[in-house]
Amino acid sequence: MNCEICQLKELDVEHFEIREVLRCILHTILFHRALGLVRPKDIDLELFEITYVQCGDVELERKTDEKIEQFIDRAEKHPNKKNQICLSFYEVKNKQPTWFTNKVERLYWEQWYINLNVAQHQKGHSGKSTSSKIVVDPGAEERTARRAALEASLRDVLFQIIRFVNEKKDHIPPVPNLEGVSFPYEITISSSSDSAFGMEMFKRMLQTGNPTMLS
Amino acid sequence: MASYHGNTHSERAKMEQIITEFFAKSLHIILESRCPYVSSRNYSGEQVLSSLSPSSSSSSSSSFRPRDKWFNLALRDCPAALENIDFWRQSNLEPMIVDVILMQRPIDWDPLNFSPKTGFVSGKERHYYGSDNEEFGCEGRNERIIERWVLQYESKKNGGSTGSKKRSNCTSSHALYKKSILLLRSLYATVRLLPAYKLFRDLTSSAHIRMYNLAHRVLSFVEPFTRREEADMQRFVFTPVDASCGRLCLSVLYRSSVVDMGSDPSTPLSPQFIPEYVGSPMAEPLKRFPSGFVSQSSPSSSPFGRRHSWSYDLYRASQPSANPSPSPSPTYSDSHASLAKQRCRRLPPPSLPHHLPDETLIAYMKTPSYDEYWPSPVFSPSPSPSPPTYVPNSHTSKALLRCESAPVSIPVTKLSSMPSLPNKQLMPPSPPLKATLLTAAENIAHLLSFSKDKPHQISGARPSVNSSPSKSFSSRLSFQDDYDDGPFVVEDDEILYPSSRSGLFELPGHPNEPGGTLFVKRSQDAAVGALVRMLKKAPPLHQDLQGSTLQTPTNSIKDTTEISEEPRVQQSSASNIVSSGLGLVTSKTTANALEELHGYRKMKDSFLKLK
Repeated sequence: MNCEICQLKELDVEHFEIREVLRCILHTILFHRALGLVRPKDIDLELFEITYVQCGDVELERKTDEKIEQFIDRAEKHPNKKNQICLSFYEVKNKQPTWFTNKVERLYWEQWYINLNVAQHQKGHSGKSTSSKIVVDPGAEERTARRAALEASLRDVLFQIIRFVNEKKDHIPPVPNLEGVSFPYEITISSSSDSAFGMEMFKRMLQTGNPTMLS
Repeated sequence: MASYHGNTHSERAKMEQIITEFFAKSLHIILESRCPYVSSRNYSGEQVLSSLSPSSSSSSSSSFRPRDKWFNLALRDCPAALENIDFWRQSNLEPMIVDVILMQRPIDWDPLNFSPKTGFVSGKERHYYGSDNEEFGCEGRNERIIERWVLQYESKKNGGSTGSKKRSNCTSSHALYKKSILLLRSLYATVRLLPAYKLFRDLTSSAHIRMYNLAHRVLSFVEPFTRREEADMQRFVFTPVDASCGRLCLSVLYRSSVVDMGSDPSTPLSPQFIPEYVGSPMAEPLKRFPSGFVSQSSPSSSPFGRRHSWSYDLYRASQPSANPSPSPSPTYSDSHASLAKQRCRRLPPPSLPHHLPDETLIAYMKTPSYDEYWPSPVFSPSPSPSPPTYVPNSHTSKALLRCESAPVSIPVTKLSSMPSLPNKQLMPPSPPLKATLLTAAENIAHLLSFSKDKPHQISGARPSVNSSPSKSFSSRLSFQDDYDDGPFVVEDDEILYPSSRSGLFELPGHPNEPGGTLFVKRSQDAAVGALVRMLKKAPPLHQDLQGSTLQTPTNSIKDTTEISEEPRVQQSSASNIVSSGLGLVTSKTTANALEELHGYRKMKDSFLKLK
């Protein structure tokens, strides 16, 4: 079974926007993968005029928020770096236990890469307050324009998800769980400067390849 | 072989059912987020959804209805969708086209002159407009299709039917169902990302009266858009879902600039208190009856019904000039009027003494243009029986103060003159008081008959007097006629009616001799006549009281127009009554009358202050 990979469009966000953007994207993807009986929950973003959908799983919401918080912490610790969060769906294949290992094999069949370029804080730290009023006005316009652009980009990302979900359907395995998110998933965080970033990618590539390579 | 054919048939039936339900579910998803007036009044949005989240436990599955379980997607109720779905089940999978229409009101839209357009077109077409779209009418409104959803099942005409079809059919229905689930998930997310969703949310969430509305049409065939129209629209095509004998196709044409079309300087509906709403104490003075005076009558037998209809009709006939915002449909104001009516039935404070309706009615109707005091149909939903305290503008405050000043007393006789008031509603007063009233009424009637050709002369009385009692009666009758026929404006001098009429009660057993203690106002005469009639109709009381004659020294009454002096008059008259030998019963009656007089006096004072 092939692993379908979707690299979503990169978004330029500010720190305070990370939470909403990630929630929107992650829950949209997860809603499309919660194939059990759900009662969808519409969530309005506060920063943007976008309504996204959650599948209504409380546990899912909690786990997602945890990962988002980790991502925010990482973004703060590693500024000026492209940060990435990966949502992966896998199948669990119980490998026959051997004397040396009892590892459960994960077979990834879909991965979503969310690329965020976290902008630095551009607040003036100098004590010069004489020109503060002059600086605010053009900054407000710039922020407004940037916010509008980000909203449009976010909307594009959501449509990208929808198109991908529609176009790729054959790779989806049988539904193991009819409640909540139907498939086991994991959310991993990485950044471009992370030395383990490339290793993580390589590891996944190995896992999605021939299962016999994993041992 | 038979089992193969049986399985084929069952598989085909399953697939047809899946496709039919797919149509239904798609329509439900689309209309749920495009039909504002259904969804906005039924639930509170995601709050309800979160409370019904299935993630808590397996027991939550019991909250799902059978139709929710189709495609594992539980949706909110959408009657519009359900109606159309029932129709579409018989359509043999014909294409389903859902047009979402943006309707913009004309600038000079008049809610009273709209012609509602409802429609069910024969044939496969089904036009459906939102129930509240009727107020837009079909004339002069600007309609524009902002979305067109096209859902169809394209059947494949394959001639081949091999033995491998059995296996493929078995998996086909399963695969079809699974892919349909995914497609519907995408549809659910997509309808919320399109521009029209913002209009829907604005209509459902905002308290503003919008100059636009969303309607929809569910059709099986439509005229295609022109090239120019299509150039303004964008298309989004969902990947078709393959089935064994065809494929499900779903696409949407939408306008990306609907936000600009729908934006308008809407008028916010700020909460406003309507001081003189239908059923208010000001409009419903009859409700001021104390519990011991008027029996609790059903609304149907209430004389207020006529007044309600009059009040409401008056509202409908005139637009409130004080409020610039267009009022919603009359049905909306109807409901509020009836609600106000029902609320006001609980209003009257029971501690008030005898209150008659007409004084407050007069006070209310006296308002020169009280329709101005009838702002938007939004009124305070407060269940409190107390009249509203907040007044939006000055003249309404004045009206409110005037109406709220004090319980205005109206002579009991006035009730009997109201044709719509059944006598059963009048609880008889205490027997001594009633005897006093009866005697006074008889005396007054007697005096009136004698003084037919004489002007009523009262020392210190006001000059404006009706010269003959016949005229007074006729004026009373005309007054009644006016009241019966509809709204009318009462003159200012009749505001004194309560005080004047209250004077009647103050004179228990006072024979109003010619030129004696008689009220000079034409309305006062009318009240006297009404009192007389009412008392005549009243059942007899004590026999020993009927033949008694009460004499009032004329010199004790200096100025009947000075109400403040009436208590003194009453006291002197009371002493006379006692001296006449009626005994404790009469004195007790007089004391009661005196108490009432005090009450009336207070009312009158407050009333005059307002004026």
